[in-house]
Amino acid sequence: MDIGGVLENTILQFIGFNACYYAIAAIGLNVQFGFTGLLNFGQAAFMAAGAYGVGQTVTIFGISLWWGVGIGIAYAVFLGLLMGMPTLRLRADYLAIVTIASAEIVRLVVRSVKFRDQFGGTDGLSGFASAYQGVGVDLGLQPAGEYGFWIFTFSGRNLWNLLVGWSLVAIFGLIVWRLMKSPWGRVLKAIREDEDAVRSLGKNVYSYKMQALVLGGVIGSFAGMMLALGNANVQPDNFSRDLTFFVLTGLVIGGVAKVTGSIVGPMLFWAIYAFLDSLLRELVDKPVRIGDFTLIQSTDIGSVVFMVMGLLLILLMVYRPQGLFGNKKEMAFEGR
Amino acid sequence: MMQLVVGTFQHLAGRRRAGQTLVQLVVAVFVALVALAGVAAPASAEGESIRVQVKDQQRDANGKANNQPVAGVSVTVLDGSGAEIGTGVTDDKGAVLIEVPGRADYVVRIDEGTLPDGQALSAESPAEQQVSADSFVTAIRTVNFFIGASQSESTSTTERIAQRFADGIRLGLIIAMCSVGLSLIFGTTGLTNFAHGELVTFGAMIAYFLNDRGVHVLLAAPLAVIAGGMLGYSFDRYGFARFRKRGIGLISQMVITLGLSIMLKNLYLWRFGGRDKPFLNYTNQVGTQIGPITITLRDLTVTILAAIVLVVVALTLQYTRLGKATRAVSDNVDLASSTGIDSSKVIRIIWVSGAALAALGGVFRGLDESVSWDMGTSLLFLMFAGITLGGLGSAFGALVGGFVVGVLVETSTLLGVPTELKAAPALVILILILLVRPQGILGRAQRVG
Repeated sequence: MDIGGVLENTILQFIGFNACYYAIAAIGLNVQFGFTGLLNFGQAAFMAAGAYGVGQTVTIFGISLWWGVGIGIAYAVFLGLLMGMPTLRLRADYLAIVTIASAEIVRLVVRSVKFRDQFGGTDGLSGFASAYQGVGVDLGLQPAGEYGFWIFTFSGRNLWNLLVGWSLVAIFGLIVWRLMKSPWGRVLKAIREDEDAVRSLGKNVYSYKMQALVLGGVIGSFAGMMLALGNANVQPDNFSRDLTFFVLTGLVIGGVAKVTGSIVGPMLFWAIYAFLDSLLRELVDKPVRIGDFTLIQSTDIGSVVFMVMGLLLILLMVYRPQGLFGNKKEMAFEGR
Repeated sequence: MMQLVVGTFQHLAGRRRAGQTLVQLVVAVFVALVALAGVAAPASAEGESIRVQVKDQQRDANGKANNQPVAGVSVTVLDGSGAEIGTGVTDDKGAVLIEVPGRADYVVRIDEGTLPDGQALSAESPAEQQVSADSFVTAIRTVNFFIGASQSESTSTTERIAQRFADGIRLGLIIAMCSVGLSLIFGTTGLTNFAHGELVTFGAMIAYFLNDRGVHVLLAAPLAVIAGGMLGYSFDRYGFARFRKRGIGLISQMVITLGLSIMLKNLYLWRFGGRDKPFLNYTNQVGTQIGPITITLRDLTVTILAAIVLVVVALTLQYTRLGKATRAVSDNVDLASSTGIDSSKVIRIIWVSGAALAALGGVFRGLDESVSWDMGTSLLFLMFAGITLGGLGSAFGALVGGFVVGVLVETSTLLGVPTELKAAPALVILILILLVRPQGILGRAQRVG
């Protein structure tokens, strides 16, 4: 068995592109879930907003790619207002239900035949990322060239994606870290702990919650933009409900209400995923059978690994709800 | 099988710690599914192959595509230069698998002389189809040939409206049945159970696996309901009851249900596979005309049975001691407890009966459409819309709201909503009801924020 290969995959996924856009999404989700106590279970919809924002520019609207950042943010703000307006005055569960439902509808709409001309149907959108890749080439990273050392050898294109992605992680991490130390951030945390107390101090709770929801959503949309630019395409089925759940799992692994948690958590999520996946692939090189009963074969590995990730989420919430870096007190809010 | 499950549960009962028992519970569920799924799927061939399917285009009573397989058709695969790679004859599933040397360009040709007498290829389906190398998404590339005329709906408007309402009523009854548990669990414990859709799928899965091993669906259905109830029991006893006792917050519990949902869904995907499969009994029924609607005996039976079950549930809630206790706990746990109601017992009963009803709903849905690993997940959001409309936490609200949502979703296509987006109106309802009347149609006006 190739243990070295398994570890190599694990390390590469720890710092890889998947971990990077998950981290951006988790930073956004942390603003809502961790700091404000808003149950946004539709982060995938915000990511789709960003991804389709950049995707539509060149292919649908025929404008420069860079407008896509603005369009993506606009979509995310719109979604945030749509989800927030009916629910943020109500108990926390309602937001959870509406966000999970909206995310599903967003996915159905963008993959539908009806709106194929706007969103590209099930094929999604592609062929818009050349301007973005061009900047990397201008900076001297040849797309086919090899850079790096030892196992950390990337093609110029991947290296460019990683550089941009992790820079965004750092920028948003810093912004959120700074914001949460500000009076504004303290109000958010107070809302999470006791909404009525904050209201009695004369703060407009509804407005603060809406700001947090929209800010988290906009950060989430950058994760979607990064995903779209990095893959140079947008696939509607990337933005399934599971995406939200996995970002949330990553966040919980790292620890909610901590910026470090929201960055390291998704990295660990992908490292664990890659470890289990490559390990199983090594072990199950041919179908494992007991008599004529097939226990597991290579096509099952994906679902088995995700099953274990689900179990991991449950065990974490039972035994260490604060994750790696979190504070248990900050995960004790009731939400009703 | 049941003894095995019961035995596992008894074994579990000896343990104390919440998370540990939950893990064991998961193992038990897994063992149950594995044992049921004993008839293993054949291992797929290692190399590339082309799967040719020949189908007779037909529509069932509901106007849904219901293509019938055509057996005994000769198929030839040629490579780019016209040399023959392989031949085969379609089996009783209308399919034949022909191995090819690799991902390259091929021509697939069927011998029109071997089609059943009097049948011809459909106008849109030529006898020869090109397969390009990059169209191999997986190792198996499927090529379809169709015979018979392309079917298109040609019914009058009244018939279409009546038909959609009949379908809507059936969907509504199923959603109502599935959401009673969801709403009552919320009402009594405050927990929004995102794994409730998986309880629905669980029923259909158990019924399917039993059915697949030769048990008639009429026997498999009640067994699946019992299994569903047992799963609900163990969810509460080894999971959420302990979490409540340990003081794990509601938000954490909600995230736990997300984890359960991910886990169970992938367990189903692993053991059941990604494709939709129908039950073995009562398939391919021909519809009978009743007034303006055409409905198969199966769908009619499902509708009537579902209606009877829901009436029984409503009467139980309204008139029996248990029903009254349930409503009392769901209204106010502390007040109910202070009048001598054992609220944790009531919660346990709600978990069992809610999960059993969800499982039954899953079996019905599986009969109505077909069984798939994510069937419950796709119903979950409709259930949420239903119970919010009816009033979160109210038992009768779940019945009424679920029914209304089901009917609205099916009939929305009449108003020009594309079929692929027919779930979208449910979201519109959800948002509107939250803006206008957040307590729902049957909920009492109270502060919910």
